[in-house]
Amino acid sequence: MVNLKLPLKLPPWLRWLTVGLVIFGLIQSFSTPVLSQEPIQIRVMMHASEAQQWQPLKADFEEQNPDIRLDIVAGPNDTNLVEDLYASAFLLGDSPYDLIYADIAWIPKFAAAGWLRPLDDYLEPGDLDGFLSGDIEGGRYRDMLYRMPFRSDAGMLYYRTDLLTEAGYDPPQTFTDLLEISQSLQDQGLTDWGFVWQGRQYEGLAAMFVEILAGHGGYWVDPETLDVGLDEPEAIAAVEFLRETIAQGISPPGVTTYAEEETRRLFQNGRTAFLRNWPYVFPLASDSPIAGKFAIQPMVHAPGQESGACQGGWGMAISATSRHPRETWRVIQYLTSTEAQRNYILANGYVPSRIALFSDPEVLAKYPHYADLLSVVKNSTLRPPVAQYAQVSDILQRFLSAALTERLTPERAMAQAAAETRRLLVQ
Amino acid sequence: MTQDTIRQRDQRTGWLLVIPALVILLLVFAYPILRAFWLSLFAQNLGTQLQAEFTGFSNYGRLVGDSRFWQSLGNTTIFTILSIIAELIIGLGFALILNQTFRGRGLVRTIALIPWALPTAVMGLAWAWIFNDQFGVVNDLLLRLGILETGITWLGEPTRAMFALIFADVWKTTPFIAILLLAGLQSIPKDLYEAHAIDGASPVQSFWQITLPLIAPQILIALLFRFAQSFGIFDLVQVMTGGGPAGATETVSIYIYAMVRRYLDFGYGAALVVVTFLILVGAIALTAFLLAKARINVSGER
Amino acid sequence: MLKVQRPTTAKTIISPSRLLLWVGVVLMVGFCLAPVLWQLLTSFKTNAAIATIPTIYWPSWDQLTEAHYIGLGGEFLRYMGNSFFVSLISTCVCLLVGAPAAYSLARLKIPGENIILALVLIVSLFPYVLLFLGLLEIVKAVGIGNNYLALIIPYTAINLPLTILVLRSFFQQLPKDLEDSAKMDGYNTVEMLQHIVLPMTIPALVTTGILTFIFAWNEFIFALTFITRPEMQTIPVAVAKIGGASVFEIPYGPIAAATVLGTVPLVILVLLFQRRIVQGITAGAVKG
Repeated sequence: MVNLKLPLKLPPWLRWLTVGLVIFGLIQSFSTPVLSQEPIQIRVMMHASEAQQWQPLKADFEEQNPDIRLDIVAGPNDTNLVEDLYASAFLLGDSPYDLIYADIAWIPKFAAAGWLRPLDDYLEPGDLDGFLSGDIEGGRYRDMLYRMPFRSDAGMLYYRTDLLTEAGYDPPQTFTDLLEISQSLQDQGLTDWGFVWQGRQYEGLAAMFVEILAGHGGYWVDPETLDVGLDEPEAIAAVEFLRETIAQGISPPGVTTYAEEETRRLFQNGRTAFLRNWPYVFPLASDSPIAGKFAIQPMVHAPGQESGACQGGWGMAISATSRHPRETWRVIQYLTSTEAQRNYILANGYVPSRIALFSDPEVLAKYPHYADLLSVVKNSTLRPPVAQYAQVSDILQRFLSAALTERLTPERAMAQAAAETRRLLVQ
Repeated sequence: MTQDTIRQRDQRTGWLLVIPALVILLLVFAYPILRAFWLSLFAQNLGTQLQAEFTGFSNYGRLVGDSRFWQSLGNTTIFTILSIIAELIIGLGFALILNQTFRGRGLVRTIALIPWALPTAVMGLAWAWIFNDQFGVVNDLLLRLGILETGITWLGEPTRAMFALIFADVWKTTPFIAILLLAGLQSIPKDLYEAHAIDGASPVQSFWQITLPLIAPQILIALLFRFAQSFGIFDLVQVMTGGGPAGATETVSIYIYAMVRRYLDFGYGAALVVVTFLILVGAIALTAFLLAKARINVSGER
Repeated sequence: MLKVQRPTTAKTIISPSRLLLWVGVVLMVGFCLAPVLWQLLTSFKTNAAIATIPTIYWPSWDQLTEAHYIGLGGEFLRYMGNSFFVSLISTCVCLLVGAPAAYSLARLKIPGENIILALVLIVSLFPYVLLFLGLLEIVKAVGIGNNYLALIIPYTAINLPLTILVLRSFFQQLPKDLEDSAKMDGYNTVEMLQHIVLPMTIPALVTTGILTFIFAWNEFIFALTFITRPEMQTIPVAVAKIGGASVFEIPYGPIAAATVLGTVPLVILVLLFQRRIVQGITAGAVKG
């Protein structure tokens, strides 16, 4: 009986094993990577939508440099996720990416982590001429250059020209102007809301605050001395200005929950006279009910102060573990050339990092507002270039959000934010 | 002797049946969990050039004074308790309805599962818009019904933001509980109810005396998994509020994710993981202990 | 329940309990479907109509478009195929491995049973987002990046605790005399599991299977990090790659279209399998 049962007992297990093997085989056949042996492959990752826009650049570059193949990996369209993906690749040591297409805010952290190769060895004298200074400065960490700027970005003030003309106002220069004009336009029933900005607790809040802070003459973190200026009177005045916009009904109470898109929709639908946002709104708003009825200018400022524009933008860095740094540098040289940048800007409407392109006849023919844009980006202010920027920014976001939603008074909120930031930076 | 060999064979088969599952579990969970415990004794962050330096329990010392962690732990606890209670009640209701025979039941069952089938991140975007203060559907409805005079800023005030999150989460995960309980209801033999009805029991009585006791195991399992999932909630909060306003909706997972993946503070992040994990295990152990005690009491009374 | 059904066949009076049931059904359907209809509507609205404030609930014809769906392109079918493959395999493995384990833990009284149960419980408490870094190291060390094993094994493991505990609870509720008489008839444990126990717990199998499948279908973080080759990616990653003209712009229309399209297979699947969530015991008993 027992002897008879043994062979009978085996089949189920054999069956299991077979099922397992078949499954494994299936998975393998679905997943076998195709190994292609190419000249030299330089790999980079970026937002999927921008990866599409890079295709003409890639074709042009490869035609000029047949010994290099540019491999563009399309990542998700969320900047944080792209950063996470780069970081995970680096954490495992040997990163598959040679070229890093980096947001300006990543550079200090990536450089401090030792993931980037300093570019100073490759730079020739004059290589950095002609770029916007904010874009170059944003690529430095502790006096070394890690990133070459590609396309710039900066926050600015959008305003409705038709409403201002109707009410007989000039564009505002100071924060007081902004409040007064808004109030008056609202009183006349010309607009529902005066000024709309990004007040949600996220990175955009910090970026927006940098501009309000600069306009009040304050500072966030001094990169040299690591002094924190959040509890200075200027910073508190900046918070008070934002609170004032809500208290006076110039900004909707929900502004503390808005990111870029919510504010863009309000502006595009003619619900607000002023908007703080990035250049991407311009082409979209030009294809909306308010087309031709708006203009841009730098963010307003306090009397006697300069206006600031939060410096954003994307550029190229070389991975510390890349086996082909020289070839990667050649890619960077091509991409940052005036010619490549002009083509890219013309096709996709981004903001150039080369000053000359703002007055380039071809560019101006297509984007007349770039003449105004230059005045905005020239005033750019950097977010603190410290390695712990992500954490520093989160501290500010939390306490600023607390002040804006009236959990804390501006003084208390900023005092706590400053104290926490100091504790972090001392560590 | 034969009894013994049967026992032994059963046990051997028993082990053979369990081992594949154990291997897969260990393969995936063992290393990350042990690694967290180990790494929590080291400093590994941007300050140490990402090199691990042994620091003993100093990460835990820092944790004690980390108000942001305790705040997020409190937020998560409130979120978890409220959402689980709501889900259990609504989910049980759903399951009871779906357990009836009526025309189009198959379709209704499918519809009831759709919220669980939709990706959270995408629905988070939709929910954020639905709760928008200016033109969200919620305010629109409440204004039209005359309940409100002016729109409410749902996501801009801690309590309301938490409410909106819980609402969205309940919507999303009630089907999970409903379908588990439905499976439980379907395995209750019908003759039990018939016998009970003959004894003169009302439907309400048979619900309390038959239905609930018999699906108690499924209720417990559903609660356990919802507890774990809810405590680890991440993407919904990330998309809807980003943890705001003022950190009032930040959950533990969001904080730890930021600590590890954005601040690159691996040692401290590991300590946060360990403490959170131990708190969860402790909570479940306590519940299990209390349940076991209660069950003894119940059976003792009977 | 039988008693309630009889009067309705007369079709003259609707009993109060029947009315209550239908009210419940309507409320439930409304609760579950409203936000979904919103997505459906968004997926067919033109970009201008989506951006318009106040929200358009009843779009006119020229505010509707199918462009968001067409824009997804043929690749989307490929992503669906990938998701289907990964979800199907991990669901099957999960049930194939989980059901025997659950049975063993329910009935076979193996030594160390409590420890194993405690282990399963504890593991289910670990927030899955936080598994990520450790798993990343393993995937790298074993070299299974860009291999579906890197998704299938974690998905299976994450769903195993649920499968084991749910199935175990159902196995424990089975009348024991059935198994005893099967043993008398000379069935060994595996045969008994296969021919008697599993057919009788089909509702539980289908339920956990559906839950596992849906989890795997929608999982994002692992899928994003472990699979980087575009042609191998799954639906959630593909959705995350849908972008507007700029990083700041959220393309609501295409995302809604992708979500609707990506959910259709799940709905069909549930529609097909939900009829199995019916009275397993009687059905099984007849078969057995």
